[in-house]
Amino acid sequence: MILTIARRELQAGLLSPLGWVLLAANQLILAWMFLRVLERFSGLEAANRSAGLTMELSLNLFSFAAALALLSVPLLSMRMLSGEFREGTFSLLGAAPVSLGEILLGKFFGLAALVTLMGLLPLLMTLGLAVTADLDLGLLTAATLGLWLTGLMFAAVGLFASSLSAQPGLAAVVAYGVLVLLSVVSRTGVAGSEATTLFDWLSWNEHLFWFLLGVVRASDLLYFGLFTGFFLALAHRRLANRRLG
Amino acid sequence: MNHKARRGRGQRRNGIVHWQGRASAVWSRAMEKLLSVRALERRYGEHLALAAVDLRLTRGEVLGLLGPNGAGKTTCLQILSGNLAPTAGEVRVLGVDLVRAPLRAKRNIGYLPERPPLYPDMRVDEYLDYCARLHRVSRRRRADAVSRAKSRCGLAEAGRRPLAKLSKGYRQRVGIAQAILHEPDLVILDEPTEGLDPVQIREVRDLIRDLAATCGVILSSHILPEVQAVCSKVVILSDGRVLHQARLDEDAPGLGRFRVKLLRAPPLPVLTALPGVASAQSLGADSFRVTLRPGEAPAQLARLLVEQGCGLMELVPDGTDLERVFFDILGGEQAA
Repeated sequence: MILTIARRELQAGLLSPLGWVLLAANQLILAWMFLRVLERFSGLEAANRSAGLTMELSLNLFSFAAALALLSVPLLSMRMLSGEFREGTFSLLGAAPVSLGEILLGKFFGLAALVTLMGLLPLLMTLGLAVTADLDLGLLTAATLGLWLTGLMFAAVGLFASSLSAQPGLAAVVAYGVLVLLSVVSRTGVAGSEATTLFDWLSWNEHLFWFLLGVVRASDLLYFGLFTGFFLALAHRRLANRRLG
Repeated sequence: MNHKARRGRGQRRNGIVHWQGRASAVWSRAMEKLLSVRALERRYGEHLALAAVDLRLTRGEVLGLLGPNGAGKTTCLQILSGNLAPTAGEVRVLGVDLVRAPLRAKRNIGYLPERPPLYPDMRVDEYLDYCARLHRVSRRRRADAVSRAKSRCGLAEAGRRPLAKLSKGYRQRVGIAQAILHEPDLVILDEPTEGLDPVQIREVRDLIRDLAATCGVILSSHILPEVQAVCSKVVILSDGRVLHQARLDEDAPGLGRFRVKLLRAPPLPVLTALPGVASAQSLGADSFRVTLRPGEAPAQLARLLVEQGCGLMELVPDGTDLERVFFDILGGEQAA
């Protein structure tokens, strides 16, 4: 049942112009960023290079892709629940023998598939260099994993925001609000410093940073898992409350 | 498997009931209780949207929820479909508690909301296939269920059409097809003929009668003739409360009771004294409700009124109890 709903969401995402426009815009901007990183790197003398090519790409291109995901994912997720509330189609799901959890997970997985497509863009571009350059595949895998997990967390936040109102626009604004707050909440301003406070721990970019360095830490995996689950649980709560009215 | 076997028996039994007609009280008691609603209540904060609603529905019956707009019909149907939780009370579908075991209860429910729940980006076939999956119709039976529902709703030729391009009538048909394609025992239709043209209304009525042969149907409407045309039972709601419940086959027009309108109305005693008249009652300056003695023909009354020179303008059989209650509510609303 979850798969049925996920398939439907993926299909709707791929049939709507919004999905493709976002994908194309992301690709265009990332390509620009990719070329800039390459140009700067190849222009430098070997002695001035502080990091390898893969690391440069990881820290610049992949972190930039995460910022783009912050902008795109709420646009993809905003209609998933609030659009159904507005059009009255949610009552189709509500009257079917499907639990709210299944509905929510179906929507989440559909969104996750779209996020995955988007998260693979930087990796695909970078792999294009594999013929001529010596790439650190381990680092690339870690960075892509980090980007993907970040995208999934954004998707959960987006779904939660979408469950709040029947206005997709409002849902997007709420999602932006939450995500920007989770971006700036870190107080040190220096990502990756060892002594992290609670506020640093709360911000997603702190955790993504370690992935971009090629370090996959259990605590970071836990952070993304926890926050994704937390926002999905909030969305579930919200759907249940909506039924109670 | 068990479930299917039970359903098969139900239909056969039901077929017999169908042929014997609705009036057989013995049979209806023997029939399966599809829906039982007890002391249903729904609040929105302080506002009481529904209070003390009791409903019963057995296979083969069509129950009409009648009431002016805002009477609580949609709220009631949303609760019965599982889209809204009741504040208090109990809803059982085939004996399964809708609040405690929603997934099991919903397998037996088909629901058409006020606005057909259509996804504009899908085609008719795609949409119905998706609905069949949602209602857990097995892969083997899915194509068959979709084509059956389409042919029942007059959509056989419309499979490739995008939902966004459909006219209002077709949207409604797809909405109904979606509600019946998994062959539920209980079909809930919220204003199924709203906004349709007369030909479409007739088609939907025929479909509802057809559905009632195998399952129970509950529908809402704010139009009295609509309910009288298809329902076997009616419940009148106003301000969230049940005002009147009746079986329509019992709700026959009062035998020998007529409404007369006269140009030159005589005093009431003159009318009462006419031969054959049992009683008369004034309904205004020139209208009366006249009850005839058993065996007297209305033609006789007409002849007498003409002979008396009363200027007979109208002589019509008096309305049913249902009509009177309904128009009383509407009158009350308009007066308020």
